[in-house]
Amino acid sequence: MKRIVEFTVNGEEREMAVETCCSLLDALRDDVGLTGTKKGCDVGDCGACTVIVDGQPVNACLMLAVEAEGRTVETIEGLQPDVDVLHPLQDAFMRHGASQCGFCTPGILMMAKKLLEDNPNPTDEDIRFGLSGNICRCTGYTKIFDAIKSAALEMEAARS
Amino acid sequence: MNVTTPIEKRDFKEKSDFKIVGKSVKREDVLEKVTGEAEYTGDIKLPGMLHGKIKRAAIAHARIKSIDVSKALAYPGVKAVLTHENVPRVLHYGSPHPRSASCTKDQYILDNKVRFWGEGVAAVAAISEEIADEALDLIEVEYEALPAVFEPEDAALPGAPLIHDVGPGGNLVLDPVRVNRGDVEAGFAEADFILEGTFSGGRPHPAYMEPNVCIADWDGTNKLTFWTSTQTAFMVRGILAEVLGLPLTKVRVLVDHMGGGFGAKQDCFQHEFLCALLAKETRRPVKMEFTRHETFVAGRARHPCRIWLKQGFKNDGTLVARDMKLVYDSGAYGSHGPGVTIVGTNAATSLYRCENVRLEGRCLYTNTPINGAFRGYGVVQSYYALDIQMDEAAERLGMDPAELKLKNVVREGDIAPSGHPILGHGLEICLEHGLEVVDWKTLRSRDRTPDAKRPHIRKGWGIGCEMHGSSAYPGIKEQGNATVKVNEDGTVTLLTGAAGLGTGAHTALAQIVAEELGVRFEDVGTIHGDTDVVPWDIGAFASHTTYLVGTAAKMAAGKVRADVLERAAMKLQVKAEELDLSEGKVFVSAEPGRFMTVAEAMGPSKGIPAANIVGNGTYEPTKSYSFAVHFTEVDVDTETGIVEVKRVVPVHDIGKVIHPIAAQGQIEGGIQQGIGHTLTEDYVIDKKTGRSLNAGLVDYKMPLSMDMPDIETIILEAAPDPGGPWGAKGVGEDPIIAIGPSIANAIHDAIGVRFHHYPITPEDILKALREKGQ
Amino acid sequence: MRRFEYHRADTLEQVSRLLTELGDDTFLFNGGTDLLVEIRERLRRVRHVVDIKQIPGMSDITYDETRGLSFGALVTVGRLERLPLVRKLYPNLCAALASLGSIQVRNRATVVGNVCRASPSADTIPPLIADGAFIHIYSTTNMRVVPLAEFFTGPGKTVLAKGEIVTGITVPPAADNAGKAYIKHGRRKAMELSTVGVAVSLCMDDGVCSDIRIALGAVGATVLRAPEAEAMLRGTKLDDAIVKSAANKAMEECTPISNVRASADYRRDMVGVLTGRAIKQALETFA
Repeated sequence: MKRIVEFTVNGEEREMAVETCCSLLDALRDDVGLTGTKKGCDVGDCGACTVIVDGQPVNACLMLAVEAEGRTVETIEGLQPDVDVLHPLQDAFMRHGASQCGFCTPGILMMAKKLLEDNPNPTDEDIRFGLSGNICRCTGYTKIFDAIKSAALEMEAARS
Repeated sequence: MNVTTPIEKRDFKEKSDFKIVGKSVKREDVLEKVTGEAEYTGDIKLPGMLHGKIKRAAIAHARIKSIDVSKALAYPGVKAVLTHENVPRVLHYGSPHPRSASCTKDQYILDNKVRFWGEGVAAVAAISEEIADEALDLIEVEYEALPAVFEPEDAALPGAPLIHDVGPGGNLVLDPVRVNRGDVEAGFAEADFILEGTFSGGRPHPAYMEPNVCIADWDGTNKLTFWTSTQTAFMVRGILAEVLGLPLTKVRVLVDHMGGGFGAKQDCFQHEFLCALLAKETRRPVKMEFTRHETFVAGRARHPCRIWLKQGFKNDGTLVARDMKLVYDSGAYGSHGPGVTIVGTNAATSLYRCENVRLEGRCLYTNTPINGAFRGYGVVQSYYALDIQMDEAAERLGMDPAELKLKNVVREGDIAPSGHPILGHGLEICLEHGLEVVDWKTLRSRDRTPDAKRPHIRKGWGIGCEMHGSSAYPGIKEQGNATVKVNEDGTVTLLTGAAGLGTGAHTALAQIVAEELGVRFEDVGTIHGDTDVVPWDIGAFASHTTYLVGTAAKMAAGKVRADVLERAAMKLQVKAEELDLSEGKVFVSAEPGRFMTVAEAMGPSKGIPAANIVGNGTYEPTKSYSFAVHFTEVDVDTETGIVEVKRVVPVHDIGKVIHPIAAQGQIEGGIQQGIGHTLTEDYVIDKKTGRSLNAGLVDYKMPLSMDMPDIETIILEAAPDPGGPWGAKGVGEDPIIAIGPSIANAIHDAIGVRFHHYPITPEDILKALREKGQ
Repeated sequence: MRRFEYHRADTLEQVSRLLTELGDDTFLFNGGTDLLVEIRERLRRVRHVVDIKQIPGMSDITYDETRGLSFGALVTVGRLERLPLVRKLYPNLCAALASLGSIQVRNRATVVGNVCRASPSADTIPPLIADGAFIHIYSTTNMRVVPLAEFFTGPGKTVLAKGEIVTGITVPPAADNAGKAYIKHGRRKAMELSTVGVAVSLCMDDGVCSDIRIALGAVGATVLRAPEAEAMLRGTKLDDAIVKSAANKAMEECTPISNVRASADYRRDMVGVLTGRAIKQALETFA
């Protein structure tokens, strides 16, 4: 029996019709049509499905869609501020080669976004800790660290 | 060979004569990835699409006595069920590199026999994944258990249960690979000392982030459209067509973005056949997506191996004889067993020079999940042994391992495993360069007193050397193809069958086309991933895309360039030789002011219709070798046995770098995988039952962000190979081969204990320290 | 079976009733980071989940110097981890919280959920036991308070009766002379299920150990204390020699098993190593 869930996703009020046992991840991908968030394991071990719910990064696979009722969800599709304008993190990822196959990228970008919001000047340790719940199998992480540091500097410069 | 010949070495630096190649241009595919727009197979949804699931056996070796699907078929929401009784009974290769000398036809889509725990025995299509999953429980299978073997040594014993009826017998996947060069016995006779050791490799798994997934859809003309996450679209097309009895015009394979493969998405998998058949049966599109657990049991891991290595040395460090026996564990089916065995064994003719070599490589079936292609392809195993034993020889001789390795590494002119002479002094140059960068002399003579604040930590440095071929020649007759066509506005489209598994291959190919043709990088668009449209491609593997398809793309671009110049010459009323083409402009070399754009050259003008300029390139290469030396620093906690990799300086020669950042990315990613292989990753199969014990991402332990060392990647263009575009060679597999021995050697440097296997666990470290009396 | 019915409860009484009425395959849905995984991996048969996250009164965190730290059943691991007073007064619990799963998991997982799951390798349990925590249990007939040390009866098993719900946990106040540490052993630095977890809470008076509690995780059917090791250390100055002896004693007091994560022998060895390190770390509070 499907339930209607009303929530806000990437600033837009949307509705989804979901079975109550459906995960937020499956609902976003199948019902809302936002396939940017990926399913790497479906059990919270890889971070590929990281989205931000009411300001907190969570694994969408470990949340039920019905729990999104009345809440604010941010996914990768909402990261760029405008059409043809990228978030500094997105631009930095492109320039630094922080994405290869790209499957982990949406989850990592959402985590990185949250990390820089909470901590605009992260140390290397802060960045490594912040990403410790996201698996990347392609890059060896080195360029992801570079990209985040670079974006942090740009965002800092833009503020001053 | 004269080792005092001055060696030319060049660090990579921006070259003013290259406009696009050699620069880290912005990758188009990455834009899609950072915005979430990139479409992977699992993102596709078709109207009326059903979901397929596979029932997997919970027994390692058995005959299926009966299989009853009636309850499953009757379950609400289920639309079709397949078993061995209603699928075509056609024996196929699983992994048939089409021109490969070594394949094993040993797989049925579904068989009346189970050969490993987790093998698929039935498939269901239903209106939801959950319902399909529930229906699996309703399928009743009666098994007659058969005795099983889980170790190659047991499978090789006379009287061992036979897993297959095909092949050479005795559970061999292929006839043993034997290589003989020189006179090994004479070599041993003149040796001053002999080292003999047994080495073994566990079962690392590629653990790509995107689980295997495919979608099948048949149209009214009996044509199959098949989306799948694969590195070898044309091979999948070929096998599907063959097994389903269709002409190639009736099978179209599509793959846009893939979430990693590392070699392991190079077979035609059971689930791919089943998906196509379920779609045919139900007359609806069907999607099959692996769970993470299934990526382990039904994916492909690296072949576990046991290696016995005996080498003879002179007191001055010269290697005079090498005798090596390798045994690879294929798992329940052949897949890439033959290729891995042949490549891994033949690799041992090289790396460190030896005139007298005797090698024997075997590959055996066991009742365990199927092992297959994985970055490094048999050489990770054989070079782990070769490099570590060279390190041991240095210890025995009281020599610096760097010095001994430098003395013995292959040189220009030596015969490579492919049978061709090596071009360039790549390995020596990488070694010498790295020794300078890390200041090896100082490291060797450093004060080894432990830090008072961390008295239980011992530091170590180790060196690992490797070489690896771009291209699978001679095992496979390689062929690279590319088509370049010019659009009427002067932009250019490259059509390539090369797979986009995330390495940046398409960007590199576009750079090559732009550079060769003389247009801007932004003016090149790439079409890939549709077997109906792009030229035939052998698949993305063997580190060969830049080398192989890159050359084909360069050739195609070259032809197009010539045609454009001809046409412009006609319009400008000059000879083609007088013209040059750069940044999209055709101009008279002696008079640059006289020019026209490519668009103008293409366009119709009075009396001359518009042009249709298309160029094809086909390249059948031999092989080039890339080289790498890794310098690794580790911290060993002598109380917990935990090893931390602190710093890696990988030095690679790849001939000519097309996209520096993409090349570095391959190296850094390969290092992550190799660190995992060597210290924490092992896909464990219970040796009593054949059951998988850690088919998930917490208990299969990959290094994560906090575990990774600092990596200072150095890429040299020391030994360009004329077989690749401007000398470019591959890079994908080299890092994962070099890092393992460098870690093992670093551990030895830290605690004086030698390990001959991977993964080297904390338990191993503590046990060894205890035995040593610490 | 991956499909299940979802119920949302507004009161504890409702939860209790649903748990009793809906049958054995009914489970509380709190953070969900264990339950959903068990459903997906077919480790637990679940027909009904009862979402308790809308129930008022279980999201509070309070601290005072008499009663100590109290937090409700809905308090997430992440929220407690980030509280400065937890970092300062209960560094052992803080270390445990910060090592659980990942940041994403910690934003949903609850401390009470981790405790109730009663895995022998749970991260939050050893420090809570070392600190003598209490667990508050609701049923329709009464409220009871049970010392956490008496809450567990076996791997995955607790004293909770059908219809009972844990509403919160109280941890006694941190004394001025207390030192606390928790060390989790794993093969990598994050996303680990501990192979061994050692929590040490101690009190020093004039350089002498007046009390010490050692709680060991992942080396027995439940989290264990090491009473003989503790007895060796009480009344001593905790010098290197006595600490080493006690750590060796602790090795004898645990009953680890071998599984794919580690062998029993290695776990035992790590109890020895980490007990010593945890005691030293707890002593650094006084440095």
